[in-house]
Amino acid sequence: MQTTTSCLNAANIKPILANTKNDTSMGTISKKLLLGSIMAMPYADAIAQDSTVVKSDSTKKLKEVTVKFRRASTQISMLDPMKRELISQRELLKAACCNLSESFETTPSVDVAFTDAVSGYKQIQMLGLAGPYTLITRENIPDTRGLAAVTGLTFTPGTFIEGMQLSKGTGSVVNGYESVAGQINVEWRKPFEDKEEKLHLNLYQSSQGRTEGNIVYRNKLSDKLSTNILLHGKSQWLKLDNNNDGFLDQPLDKQFVGANRWFWFGPKGWEVQGGVKAAFVQNTGGQWNYERNGEQITGKPWGFQLNTERVEGWAKIGKMFSKPGTSMGLQLAGVYHNQDAKYGSTNYLGTQRSFYANLIYQTILGNTNHILKGGLSTLVDNYDETFRLTNYKRNEIVPGAFAEYAYTHSTKFNLVAGIRGDYHNIFGVFATPRLHVRYAPFKKTVLRASVGRAQRTANIFAENMGYMASNRSFMVQSAAGSANPYGLNPEVAWNSGVNLTQKFVLDYRDGAVSVDYYYTHFQNQVVVDVEDAHSVQFYNLNGLSFANSLQAQADYELIHNLDLRLAYRWYDVRTSYGNTLKERPLVAAHRAFANIGYETRNKWKFDYTVQWIGSKRIPSLHSHHGGGVTSESYSPSFWQMNAQISKSWNDKLEVYLGGENLTNYMMHDPIVGAGNPYNVGFDASMIWGPIMGANIYGGFRYKLR
Amino acid sequence: MKQIIIILSIIFSAVSVTAQDSKDTKDVVTKTYKVDGNCGMCKKRIEEAAFVKGVKKADWDKDKHTLTVIYKPSKTNDETILKSVAKAGHSSELVKAEDADYNKLPECCQYKTNTCEH
Repeated sequence: MQTTTSCLNAANIKPILANTKNDTSMGTISKKLLLGSIMAMPYADAIAQDSTVVKSDSTKKLKEVTVKFRRASTQISMLDPMKRELISQRELLKAACCNLSESFETTPSVDVAFTDAVSGYKQIQMLGLAGPYTLITRENIPDTRGLAAVTGLTFTPGTFIEGMQLSKGTGSVVNGYESVAGQINVEWRKPFEDKEEKLHLNLYQSSQGRTEGNIVYRNKLSDKLSTNILLHGKSQWLKLDNNNDGFLDQPLDKQFVGANRWFWFGPKGWEVQGGVKAAFVQNTGGQWNYERNGEQITGKPWGFQLNTERVEGWAKIGKMFSKPGTSMGLQLAGVYHNQDAKYGSTNYLGTQRSFYANLIYQTILGNTNHILKGGLSTLVDNYDETFRLTNYKRNEIVPGAFAEYAYTHSTKFNLVAGIRGDYHNIFGVFATPRLHVRYAPFKKTVLRASVGRAQRTANIFAENMGYMASNRSFMVQSAAGSANPYGLNPEVAWNSGVNLTQKFVLDYRDGAVSVDYYYTHFQNQVVVDVEDAHSVQFYNLNGLSFANSLQAQADYELIHNLDLRLAYRWYDVRTSYGNTLKERPLVAAHRAFANIGYETRNKWKFDYTVQWIGSKRIPSLHSHHGGGVTSESYSPSFWQMNAQISKSWNDKLEVYLGGENLTNYMMHDPIVGAGNPYNVGFDASMIWGPIMGANIYGGFRYKLR
Repeated sequence: MKQIIIILSIIFSAVSVTAQDSKDTKDVVTKTYKVDGNCGMCKKRIEEAAFVKGVKKADWDKDKHTLTVIYKPSKTNDETILKSVAKAGHSSELVKAEDADYNKLPECCQYKTNTCEH
């Protein structure tokens, strides 16, 4: 069951604002959400758009509207011109431990796979494109960019998260020019929300030797001021080698994440919020006998170790003006990220310092059928990387300006058109146009289309750390004398998509069917070429590169309180490697998915997910029989199952027990040449399936209200 | 591509077949009763309580304080439904809640003394 204490924001109070003088006596909470689109809560907004009954009393005050009813754990918004999948806390709880990368395992739109067989990191994939092509934002501020593009997902523990919105295809220009495949916006728990518990405690233990603890404490000091503290500790303390290849299936690790945030709702429409977050991670893996900082030469154990320190601070300052629908917001964020990795004799050190500022002004033209947003942004990235003793330094400074116009013709038709212009200190001026259109011919039928451009700088080392778990040589084919990062061009892609969502009521229970299709065309891409068994090559695309993605999903409440979700998705992702257009390696063309969730009246919850993952192309690899190379092959397809049971008492204590990878399906020899890790042909990067066997876990959540 | 078309057509045909089934059921009535309660907090409790065997849908309107129930008269009746609601602490036009059950309600849902105006 879900509760949204939610109010009206500029986007959905049309009928009232049109004939109401702005009223300074509005409740605090209403004010909060009036700034919602800029400041904080698009998650609540989008839900409110679907479900809120707009209400005004005789004095024409905007009142708080509390919506509480049974809602699917993942929803698709109906009024928004951008298709957004709203992933609630309930959905996140289906996987009990979990950082951000693991939390997608019950979401058909996102694929999750190991980056390599030694580091234990998982990478997401959307529209068939690797994780870094998806923009991850924390409350609409870009989060895991740059060096953290792959590892960064583990720095957001699931317990910190209130919900997520996942949108495929090109996003809003307000959030920048980077999102190629889509955007995942993560909403953290808010300290001012009365429905939230004061204290949330969570302990988790798995049979594979992982222990995790989380504490979230909130304190509402007054109606205006509130704060919360979020703490997370995790340790993998048990050495495991299920496949007997002499390598730990998962590194030992210690992880600590702590955050503190503050919210202040001031008089006269002012709102200020800010937060700090720090993450420290230490991973040690590789061969069984490897000790931290051991010498890595032939005859000694091959080891993997990674130390990461990341500190972030962010703030949002918002002001709502007396003119209806008019507000201004400033988003600020700074990141310091430092990582030091050793993969055998390969050392990779990287430091990133980033600063982000985004000023957004929003107003309405006449009425809320015409909403205009405009603003200025600056993105500053400083990178200092050392890979195998070669130093790469760069500064990217990108000031930009944007405008976005949202037009609502009727409940049947609306659109959002945006454009931004940015000046990049190395790449020069570029424009980013984006368009989203929604047409709803019937109340329960929504058709949407989107098209737009995206650009980003590839961080070739950080995004491909998985290949460091091999003795492949890294070759960057940079243009002579180029001042570009790594001597490579920026990645430029056009993404377009259409989708259809059809809601229905069958035997008095709700359901929805949705189909979406996206096409991403790369004008330039930094191609990561692993077609040669002994190297990874990076070069500018010469030829075609594209990704087709089709997904169909059906959701229905099969019997009372039993939700069923069926999904199927198909990818056709191809890139020109050298002169040959080939299927991108390690991407499954087909995936089918089914999830059943059932909840009883006395608060037992059952959740079961089964999926089938199709075969993936494996490029030719080093052959340890005769020293040549194997021919290109395809991995077998496989099934995976997860299940979880939980029981809660009095909304205070919840105990859960679950299992992952219940089919116990594992890749048998994930590491090529595991016996001789210092020799040619050692390769732990060609991972197409699970490395770990079945995992049973249990734990509890305690909520103090 | 072929597989996709097959799978899609299976999904859609399954949906349309079951959609036809439900039209055949004539043994269904919709009724609305006055049920006391306060706010969104009470909504879930009332609806879950009303969902006895034979009930297809229960929807409590927190503004009007009315409960709309769609059910099969061959399997249940007004009294059974509203008794179950009363057992959960919420009185209706037909069945009053026992004090013992009413007192179990959380404070904000005790509709005799409290209101939910924020």
